[in-house]
Order: sequence, then structure tokens, then C-alpha cells
Amino acid sequence: MVDRRNFLKLSVASAGSSLLPVHTALAENEEVLKQGGEGYSHLSGNKLEALPSICGQCPSRCAILGYLDDGRLVKIEGQPSSIRNQGTICAKGQTGASKIYDPDRILHPLMRTGERGAGEWKQISWDEALTELADRLKKLRDDGTPEKFVFHHGWISASAEKLIDDIFLATYGTASIIKQTCQQQSARWSAHELTWGANIDNWDIDNTKFILNFGSNVLEAHTNFVSLAKRLAVSAVDNRLKMVTFDVRLSNTAANSDLWLPVKPGTDLAVVLAMCNVVMTEDLYLGRGEEFMDFCLVNDNATATRSDKIATLKNHLTDYTPEWAEEISGVTAQQIRDVAREFATTKPACVISSRGAAAHYNGVETERAIQMLCAITGNIDIPGGRCRAVAPAWIYPTGPEDKPEARKLAFIDTDHDVALPEFGAGHKVLSRIKTGEERPGVYMWYHHNPAYANANTQDMINILKDETLLPYTVAVTPFYDETAALADLILPDATYLERYDIEDAVSPNQIPEYALRQPLVVPQGETRDFKDVCLELAERMGMPLGFKSADKFIEKVCKLTPVVKKQARGFRGLKKRGVWHDEKAAPVYNAYRREVPEETLAVDGVILDQKTGVYWNWMVAGAESETEALEAGYSDIPGASTGYVGQKIGDAIYEGFAPGKLNKSGHFELYSPILAAKGLPALPTYVAIPGHSEMKGDELILTTFKLNVHVLSNTGNGGWLNEIHHDNPVWINPVTASEREISEGDAITIKSRIGEVTATAMVTPTLAPGVVAVSAHLGRWEGGRYASGKRAPFAVDDIRHDEYQWWQAGGTSANWIIPDNPEPVSGQQSWMDTIVTVIKTNIQKEQ
Amino acid sequence: MTKEDKHETTRRNFVQKIIAGAGVSTVAAATYGLSSKATTPDASERRAKQYAMLIDTRKCIGCHTCSVACKAEFDVPLGVTRSWVEYTEKGTYPNVSRNFLPRLCNHCRHPQCVDVCPTGATYKREQDGIVVVDSGQCIGCKYCIQACPYDARFLNPVTGVADKCDFCIHRVSKGLVPSCVNSCIGGARIFGDISDPTSEISRLVETNPVTVLRPGKGTEPQVYYIGADHSDEHENKRGWYDVRVTTHRKEKGRR
Repeated sequence: MVDRRNFLKLSVASAGSSLLPVHTALAENEEVLKQGGEGYSHLSGNKLEALPSICGQCPSRCAILGYLDDGRLVKIEGQPSSIRNQGTICAKGQTGASKIYDPDRILHPLMRTGERGAGEWKQISWDEALTELADRLKKLRDDGTPEKFVFHHGWISASAEKLIDDIFLATYGTASIIKQTCQQQSARWSAHELTWGANIDNWDIDNTKFILNFGSNVLEAHTNFVSLAKRLAVSAVDNRLKMVTFDVRLSNTAANSDLWLPVKPGTDLAVVLAMCNVVMTEDLYLGRGEEFMDFCLVNDNATATRSDKIATLKNHLTDYTPEWAEEISGVTAQQIRDVAREFATTKPACVISSRGAAAHYNGVETERAIQMLCAITGNIDIPGGRCRAVAPAWIYPTGPEDKPEARKLAFIDTDHDVALPEFGAGHKVLSRIKTGEERPGVYMWYHHNPAYANANTQDMINILKDETLLPYTVAVTPFYDETAALADLILPDATYLERYDIEDAVSPNQIPEYALRQPLVVPQGETRDFKDVCLELAERMGMPLGFKSADKFIEKVCKLTPVVKKQARGFRGLKKRGVWHDEKAAPVYNAYRREVPEETLAVDGVILDQKTGVYWNWMVAGAESETEALEAGYSDIPGASTGYVGQKIGDAIYEGFAPGKLNKSGHFELYSPILAAKGLPALPTYVAIPGHSEMKGDELILTTFKLNVHVLSNTGNGGWLNEIHHDNPVWINPVTASEREISEGDAITIKSRIGEVTATAMVTPTLAPGVVAVSAHLGRWEGGRYASGKRAPFAVDDIRHDEYQWWQAGGTSANWIIPDNPEPVSGQQSWMDTIVTVIKTNIQKEQ
Repeated sequence: MTKEDKHETTRRNFVQKIIAGAGVSTVAAATYGLSSKATTPDASERRAKQYAMLIDTRKCIGCHTCSVACKAEFDVPLGVTRSWVEYTEKGTYPNVSRNFLPRLCNHCRHPQCVDVCPTGATYKREQDGIVVVDSGQCIGCKYCIQACPYDARFLNPVTGVADKCDFCIHRVSKGLVPSCVNSCIGGARIFGDISDPTSEISRLVETNPVTVLRPGKGTEPQVYYIGADHSDEHENKRGWYDVRVTTHRKEKGRR
């Protein structure tokens, strides 16, 4: 056996040596076929009209080309001129047209006629709908309580956020806005706010040599999916990029990695800290890591020397040995040492991470520890490292000048269980309404499906149904999803293929790309872009916003943004191109090392905060006086970060790691004075998941995952996508399964402390023992025939597909049994920590 | 599970590779034979063009973009597929692998579907080697569907005639690569004339160890793979390790 194995290995190894990178040079007389940029009808052979726009299926916002045949959108491809997604899009993007022509789409405003949630509706006119809504909103405003208009949205376009949140709602006077753009990522983003400051993370995959991946399934789902996945897939072969993935499950990302190391859920933090320990004890920080220490805050002394900082870190990490981490995580000490050494000695390298590591009770600490690992190996903001995201600098009009001081209901961002609720406790808002005393007058949601997407489904449904908690609810959506079904009024929205928008997604190559979404077809039925609806509502309430239509607003943005106006030929130019970047622009790295010019420091109001070394402008930050600013200090004046100018390091003043919403310094804060002030560990410290160490023998940890053909509940109406993923059996390791006498295909019952669900078992060696895993896209009960098998009100037949749908919509949603469980710093839902028991369903019945 | 392990193959697969390797060198010799004679432009014009595809599965991330792009390109009805991706999982925890095998019509040099077609509706085009179905001639007898060793054919429920991948003739004839090639996120697919020894696909097939599906069938498939895992669930019977092949097609079986 061994001999045969070795023989095969040898033969494969020799084959491997000739697995050459792809040649790209073309022979002179070779017939060259174009990749794309044109489309032809497969029936008539006629050339199709091509229009550029921007995808909106997921937060990645890829550049697309839509192909029209006689006015009907028949095909969507990637836009070849994009430097982000480089001519390709994913399966979800390819099915965009099924959103427009969804037979279950809501085409008229709907008003409920029966009990809330009973599914009884009548179609009404826009005039009726907006009269009713404007009357209610006007009354709230005239009663002096505009903050009772609560607006809750998921991912929306950059321009929608500006026009709706910052202009429409601000002019109306409510700041009761919940931006739940962070259902799955806010623990990571909060950690970035604490370490980097204002930042969305990015990785320079084109130039990196080694990727250490903690729980990111970047080859299936990511907020910058195609742009990153493409570079990874290509670099893995052409650049021999090595990737090591820690994940409880063999995701496609783990499968395509050079090494998959299963880790016990919620213990990535132990592995990361142990790797930091290896780097420090084996002096692998020397060189770049050591140099970078100058920009790090490592203890409460902003002027500590390099050697002080190194001593502090060594001391802090002493007990986090690989042997200690092995006990906790199940990854062997030897594996941790080997990977840590390879990571630390391969330059440049980056660590990527996502919900596998961070959607836990210790999510913020895990991500902070990851940033520490990047910092001590000198991989911060360098070519091939973990970089400060580069996004386009759009300039937006601000609307009417005389805006009232917007107020908000206290429950929006007050949460006693969470240290920094401003970043990601949106999922808790509904339950806070239940436990608090304030009641929204109008609760409206947009691009959001909390009944399905949040944890503790039954509780969400109960709250949304309860008219004493939510007296009037409005859904803005093109589709009849689980939450729309619980609304009082549904305003039918245009899909992303029927409207104008500005987008500002991140470029993995560190050069900004400006993107314009434009309608490829006119909105179906009576559907309307909600931005236009807001403009009309404002008119009706006697507070015109100064824009005739949403596209005029977008046009104005193009005019105000100098590079777009001058170099991209403005709105018209972008309508032709879809995306634009400056061809002469160089990638941006090491921005924190730029020195602040003297004249900037000489501006009125700029002072030095001695304690932190921060130069800031107390006038810009809105402090009372210079004396007060100096006495209270930068860290303790609310909003001081808005006046940040630079960071003193040694004798120079650098742009540094500028703060976002928090009053952090311009240091890369490994030590967080902000967390210290809240009584939390200042340096990344191990936090165990409550309850996990006391689990009983029959208990398992439930984990959920996303896969490549769905975007949570957002793509349920894509028939071609559901054809691929319409059933989600629960993954269970053969050992775990046999202990419970569970075989492939058995009906199983999964129980948590809040409930139980039934599912089908898939016995697979691609999951660690002690865990069950289920995808987070199915088990829908609304959303139309493809998502749930149930038609929406006023749905029509689909002559193309109804006859041929061969599967029963079904599957399991784990959210029914995942309790509301916020991570204590950011408030992000700890999706991956639920303790469950799993039994064969028929055994349960016998009992 | 390391990448070396990933390329570790079964004996069957190893044998396949040897056979495929032999097959390729035959093809290469044949093409070089032609090209060495091609001293004048006239001679090169006489060379029979054969479109082919090379899929570098090392760059495939199993994302199904090709499957869906194909659905959209041809408005393919639910339940049938011209292009799809199979997932092959094997091993014992934690030494397990998952590999992706994109599938489509092989446009064989010796297509068995053509041999059995009673009406001549299915034929191999002389000008480029693409195997096509003339829907006007097809009587829907399904012989070709049975004959294809690759499950590449189906009866289109809308038209009632045999259907399959045609290498996107409507695009290729306008100078565009097929839709699955254009949409591939990892750039795993190379398309071109394998009879032209200077083409990119010829050079890659020549310089890499490539395989084809079921070489023993004598069909000479014109879809080549780099790094493909040809494991099959039949191997479970031998008790070496567990193999699970997953397809999202309505017909779950695999020939």
C-alpha cells in the first residue's frame, strides 16, 4: 500500500514539475477570439445591444454589461474594462434578469386587507400609497417626533445611502436610521475601527506570496467576491501563491488551498495568538515587523520605544504557546509552529479572515489578534500585504441647507450588552423595541429581510406582527419576501437593473474605480426606484430636496466630482463606460507614512494632544474652546476624531492610521485605550466562547455557511440558481453521525435551547467532528415559487419555466434555532456558537 | 490535505493519464506532421480546423458561473444542461479533497452520437470540427443521447429535439470565445484550434500533462483537462476510500 502510494506520489511529483504556468504570448498568425464585450442572439445571430452598468446582487458591486434583444434583457456578463472584476461576474450576477422578470414580483403598491401577516392584500395606486404614508410621516413631524420614523436598511448603493439617509431623512428630521450593512461582518469592521481606524480591509493578492486564511470562504462568497476570487484562482497557479486555510468545514476555499487545517469552532483566536507567540519568541518579527512597531500603540505610553513595545508584546504573549492553543483548538502545536514560521518568513504575505473566525462571541478579539499578526510580521499596507482599501472619492450634494437637528430614538444605538453598538448591533434593534419603551410611529425597511435573515426567527416574526410594538410598517422591496409578508404597506421597488446609482466599491489593486449603475430596462409594472419615491414624499411633505429625480441627483454627483467631470467626461461618459479609472494612477500603499505638511498644522484650531500624540482641530471637532479641548483631551471629547489631523511619532507628524467613528489615535492600535476605558482587555486576549468548554458528550456546535450560487435570501428567485442549490442537507462527520446512528439521508432533528428544526443528514468527511453545518440560503417560506414553492400575491405564470421546475423548494433555515447572541464588543450576531443536540428523527418518535 | 495529495490519483486515474498522454502525443504528432508539410499558405489552409477546449481545473473554483452563463446564453430550460460542474470529494477526515470537473460536450474526433444518428441531423462540421445537431433534421429518437458516453446530450423539452453544447457557434463565428470561456472567473478555460500547432491551446496541451474523459471509448474527446480528478463513485466498491461525486443536474447518474 505504502509502496503504491509513494510510487503514485513520485509519478505525480514529476508530472507536477511540468505543470507549467500558462503561456500568454500569442503566435503571430494565431486566430484570436475576443473574450467578450459583444453579444449575439443564439437564435437570430443578430448583434445584441450592450449597456454597461453595475451588479447589485451582492455587496461586491461588479461592473457588468447587459445585453438586450429587442428591449428585453437576455444576458449579463462582466465588463471587460473594469480593473476590479476584470470582465467576469459570478453565477448570481449572470441571473440578474430573473429579478426583473420574476413572475412573483410585486408590480403595484400593496395594502394589507386582512390581519397582519395573513397574506391578504389589495393593489392600490401610488397616489393612495404615498398620500397615506406622507400623512403619517407629516403627523409625526408636526407632533415634534420625527425620530419616530425608523428607517432600517441592508446593503444599499452609495448614492441611495446619501440621498435617502443623509438628505431625505435628515431634512425630515429623523436620525433613527439603522444601517444593517454588517449582518455578518461588523465584528471584523469594529476590530478594524479599533486598530486601523476608518477602513474597509483589502488584500493585495496580485502581489502576495502567501495567504493565511482564517474562516473566509472567499472563493464562494465575499463582500468583494469576484475581484478577490479571480485573483486568488489565477495567482494560485500562475504565481504559485500558497494558501493555508483554517476552517471547521472544507469550503471550496479550503478545498482549493494548499493546506486545510480544521479548527474547533470559536478557537481561531487561540491559533492566532499562538502564532503571534511563535513570531515573537523566535524573533521572526525582526526586520519589517520591528520597523512597523514605530507606528503601533502597544501599551498606554504613546511614546514608548521600539524595545519597550517588543518587550510588552513578548510578555503579553508568553503564555499563548502553541501547546496551549493545541489543547483549545485541536490544531497541533507542530502545525501551528510550521504555519507561523512559513507565514512570518514569506514576504509579502497576508491574512484574510471572515465569519468563520469572527462570527463568534470572541469575534472582535480574533480579528484584532489577526491584525496583530499582520503588524508584527510587517505586512500592513505594503504591496502584497493587508492594505488600506482604496475606493473612489465621490463628492455628493448635501441637499437643503436648513436641516433640523436630526434626533433618534434611544434604542437605536443604546445597548447595555454591547460596548460599541454603533457598528453592528442592527440585528438587535427589533428585540430592543420589544424590551424597551419607545415605539416607532412608522417602521420602514428597505433592502432588508429581517424575518428570514436575523437569528431567532420566531421572535422576529412575533415582533414584526405585533401592532402594539410596531403600529405601522412599510416594506420597500421588489419581492414578496418573508418580512414584506408582514408589512402593512408594500412599496414596489425597482431592481438594481432598473435604476441609476453611484457605487464606490473597493479595488483589490489599490487604484480607485468610479462606477455608475444605469437602468438596462425601464422599471416593470408600476415599480419605482425608491430614491424617486423619497423625492416625491419630500415634495408632498412640503420639504423639496432640490432634485427633480434620482438621475438628476446622480448627474449632479458626477458634476461635483472633479476627476469624473474632467477625465471621465461626467455623467454621459460614465453612461457609456459604466466604470472609469485613471490609467496613470499608481496603486496606493503606505499612506500612513505620508507626513502632514506644516501649513496643515498651522491652521487655526489645530492643537497637540500630549497624551496620545494626536494633532487635531478642536474647532472642526466642535469642542467648546481650546482650553476645554486641551483640558479634557482628544480621547474624551465626543466627536474629537472628526478633527483628526495627524499623529506625532518621534519628531515627525504622519497621516497615520486616521480614526473613523472612534477617538482612536493615529497609531495602529494593538493596545486599545478605547477598550481599556470600557474595562475590556486592551491588547488582544483570549476569550473562550461561553458554554463551549462545558459542553456535554452529546452536544455539538452548529455552524452555518454561504455558498457560491446564493446571496443569503437575496437570490431566491433565480430559477437557474435554485436548480443548483435547492436542498441543503446538514453536514455531519461520519464519526459524529455513527455515534448517533445517523446515516446518509436520514431525517434528523436539531435542537437548541430556543427550538428545534428537522433536516436531512449528509454524512461527510469534509467537516470536523463535533459540529453540524448547514447553508444559510434555504428553508424559505416566502419569496416566490423558486425560493419557497409558494406564489406571491398577484403572481403570474412563468411560461418559460413553470412546466420544467423539477425540484421542490425546501431545505432548512437554522435561524429558527440560533438564539440572539451578540458579540460583546461590536454586537454582531455570533452565528457560529450555538450548542445543539442532533438525533435521528424516528428515534425521537419512538421515545 | 495538501496540494500534492490533491494531485495524487488512483491507479485507474494514473492509467487514464498514461493513455491520455499517449493520445495527446498522437495528436501532437499528427498536427506536427501536417504543419511540417505546411510550407505554403495554401497548405495551411487545407489543414482541418478542430476547435477544442482545455480546462485547467487548478484554476476552477467550482463557482457554477459557466453553468449559469450557458443557461443564459441559450435560455436553457430548467432540468437540462449543456454545461455543468461536478464536485468530486474523496478521502477520510481530515485527509480529504474536493475537486471540480467542469463538463460539456467533448466534440469528439470520433463522435459516437454521429454514428448512430439515423437522419444525419447530428454531424461533425468539416470546417471546424464542432459536433452539431440540425434541429430541422432531428426526429427526437434519442439514439444519440444513449450513445454519448459523456451524458452530454438531452432532449430539449421546448423544441422536442436533441440538444447539447455547440461550442457557442453563434459567438465563435463572430470572433468571440464561447460563453463559458468568457465567463470563467479563474480563466481556467482555453479555447482554440488544436490543429494549429502555434495556437495557445496546442502549446498548452503539448507542454502540460493533460487528460480527457473516458479515453478508452476511442472517441478522442476535444475537451482536455489539466489536473482533473477522474475519480468515480464506482471506486467506493474497492474500499480504498470514499468518493462522492455531486452534480446539480436533474439526472444525478454519471456514466
